[in-house]
Amino acid sequence: MSVEAIEIGRLLRGSTRGFVAGCRVSQLDVPAFGSLVRAPLQAGYQVFGLIYDMRIDDDGMVRQLAVTDEVPDYVVHDNRLNRNVPVELSVLAVGYELGGKISHMLPPRPPLCLDLIYLCSPQEICAFTNHGRFGYLRHLLQNKDVPLGELAAAHFQQTGAAQASCGKADWLTRATAELIVLLRDDYPTLMGVLGALSELNTEA
Amino acid sequence: MPVNFQTLKGQIEEMGRQQPAVQKDLQDKLQRALQVLRAYSEDLPAVETRLGVALVGHDELRCAAPASEALAARFPAPPLPPEAVVLAADGSQINPNRHARVEFSLVNVGAVCFPQAKETIKTRLIYHDDLYINGGMISEEVVALRRDLEERRRLVELARDTQGGVVVTLTDGQLELYRTPQRNAEFDHALKDYMEVLRQLRTLSTAAAGYVDRPRSDLVVRLLEILSLPSHEVDQAGRARPFMPLYDRLLFEHVLTEPGDRSAVFAIHSESLKEFTGDLALHFFYLNVGQGQQPYLARVEIPAWVAESRLLLNTLHAVLYSQSRLMSSRPYPYVLHRAHEVAVVTQKDQMEIEDLIVAEMMRNGIWDLRTSNKQSAKDLPGRNMRK
Repeated sequence: MSVEAIEIGRLLRGSTRGFVAGCRVSQLDVPAFGSLVRAPLQAGYQVFGLIYDMRIDDDGMVRQLAVTDEVPDYVVHDNRLNRNVPVELSVLAVGYELGGKISHMLPPRPPLCLDLIYLCSPQEICAFTNHGRFGYLRHLLQNKDVPLGELAAAHFQQTGAAQASCGKADWLTRATAELIVLLRDDYPTLMGVLGALSELNTEA
Repeated sequence: MPVNFQTLKGQIEEMGRQQPAVQKDLQDKLQRALQVLRAYSEDLPAVETRLGVALVGHDELRCAAPASEALAARFPAPPLPPEAVVLAADGSQINPNRHARVEFSLVNVGAVCFPQAKETIKTRLIYHDDLYINGGMISEEVVALRRDLEERRRLVELARDTQGGVVVTLTDGQLELYRTPQRNAEFDHALKDYMEVLRQLRTLSTAAAGYVDRPRSDLVVRLLEILSLPSHEVDQAGRARPFMPLYDRLLFEHVLTEPGDRSAVFAIHSESLKEFTGDLALHFFYLNVGQGQQPYLARVEIPAWVAESRLLLNTLHAVLYSQSRLMSSRPYPYVLHRAHEVAVVTQKDQMEIEDLIVAEMMRNGIWDLRTSNKQSAKDLPGRNMRK
C-alpha cells in the first residue's frame, strides 16, 4: 500500500478500541497529534488509528534536574535518549483493511506487542478517508477520552492537505458538513468542534 | 505485633534525653580537633616526625598522613575543562540463594560516558562450577568482589576507547577493592587483577577516583589524635582515642566553608593497603559539594598518580563539583547515579531471570525445581494484624 513507509514506533499495549505505541525521541519529529497511522499485522490485514495523545513521563530525577540552575546539553540529551523512554503515542482505532477492503468499523483483532506502527502516506490517508461516508468519525464522537474538537481540527487539517494533493479539494467541506450532521443533537459539543475547526480557517 | 513498641518507646525517649549531652561532647572534641588541625596545618615536617615516631612498632596504625599541602588548606573549584570526558561504572548482583528454585548468581555492570551520553551494560551469569570455591558455594562477599573487579575492568575498556581531553573514571565508594573479612585465595587473585587494572588506568593517564557519599571515616581525626598526644604518650597512638566519636566530615565542614572547596590531599597509612605502593598508593581529599551555607562533604579516594598531577587533580575536582551540582539540592555526581540506574538489578528482574532459568531447565528435562520449605513458608501471605 505504501511507497515509503515511515516507521514511528512499536506497539506497547492495545485493545480493539485503540493502542499505545512507544517511540524514541529521535522519531518524535514525524508523528503529529491527529495523524492517521497504521499497524500492519499480517499480509492483507492492518489497523488504522488516529494519534490523540503523546505522553512523556517524568520521574524523580527529571523533577530534580528541572530545578537545577543550568542543565548542560549532554544531560538533556541523556535524559531524552536513555531515560524516560519510550515516548508514548495514544492511538484511537478508527478502522482496518482486510484483504484489500477498507472498513470503518473497529478491527476484529488489535495489533500485538512490538508490532511496528507506520505513519500513513497522503495516498493511504486518501484511500482510508475516501472510503464510505466518513463512518470512522463516529469513533471520535463516541470516545469521551479524546479532545474531540482539537483532534477533529488537527485531523481535518492534515487530511484536507492530503486530499487536496489527491485532487479532492472539497473533502474538508464535506467532512465538516458530515460532522455537523453527526453532532446536530449535541449543540454544546458541536459548537466546541466548530470553534476548533474555525481555527483552521484563521491559520490558513 | 512485629515490635514491642511499649519497651521501645522508653528506650527512644532515653535516647532523645541523652542527645544534648552527646552533642555537647562532640562539639567540645570538634573544637579541640580543629585547634590541633590549625596548629599543625603548615608544619608538615613536625607532623611527619610525630607520625614517624608513632609508627615505630605500630604497623597496624591506620590514619591519614600529610602529602604536600597544608592540613587545613582549602582549594576552590577550578574551572571545568570543556573537553573532559567522564566515565562511571557501577555494579549490582544477585547473590546465590540455596532456598531458591535454582542456584545461580549474577553480576551486572552498568557504565555511562559523558558528554557522549552513552550507556553500556554487561551481565554475567554465574552457575555450575563457577558457583563453588574451596568446596563450598561462593559467599555474598566473593560476588561483591567479582562485581567490583568487573566495574573497574569496564572502566579500563571504556577509557581505552575514549579520545579527547582528560578522562575521569569514577566508581561509587572507596577505591580500595571490597575486602572479604578473611583474606583468601579468591581475594588475593582478585587483588592481583585489580592492581593490574589500576596500572592500566595509570598508563591511560586517567583521573581515577572513588566517590564516597556521606563518609564516616576518621583517618584525619586519628592523625590529629596522634598529634595531640603528649610526647611521652606517643606509644599510645591508635589506642588513645581522645576525639572519638568525631569523624573527618564533621571536622572539614568547618574548613571547607565555600561550595566547591576541596581539602588538602592526604595519604593513607594502613596495613590493609600495603599492596598499594608507588603510583598506586591511595590518597584522599574531602570535597564540599553543598550549596550556599549548607556544607555537604564527600570523600574522594585517588591513587598517587592523580594526587601528584595538578592537571588530573584539578580536572577531577571540577568534574565532581559540576556533576554534583546537577542534582541541585541533593548533590551527588549525576554520572554515578546514571551508572547505578543502568546497573541496578531489581527484585522484579531477579524473579524474571529465575523464571527464565527454570523454564530452560524444564526444557532440558529438569522438573524438580522447588523453593525450600522455609522459603515456601515465608512466601505465604503473612498474618495481617493491623487491619
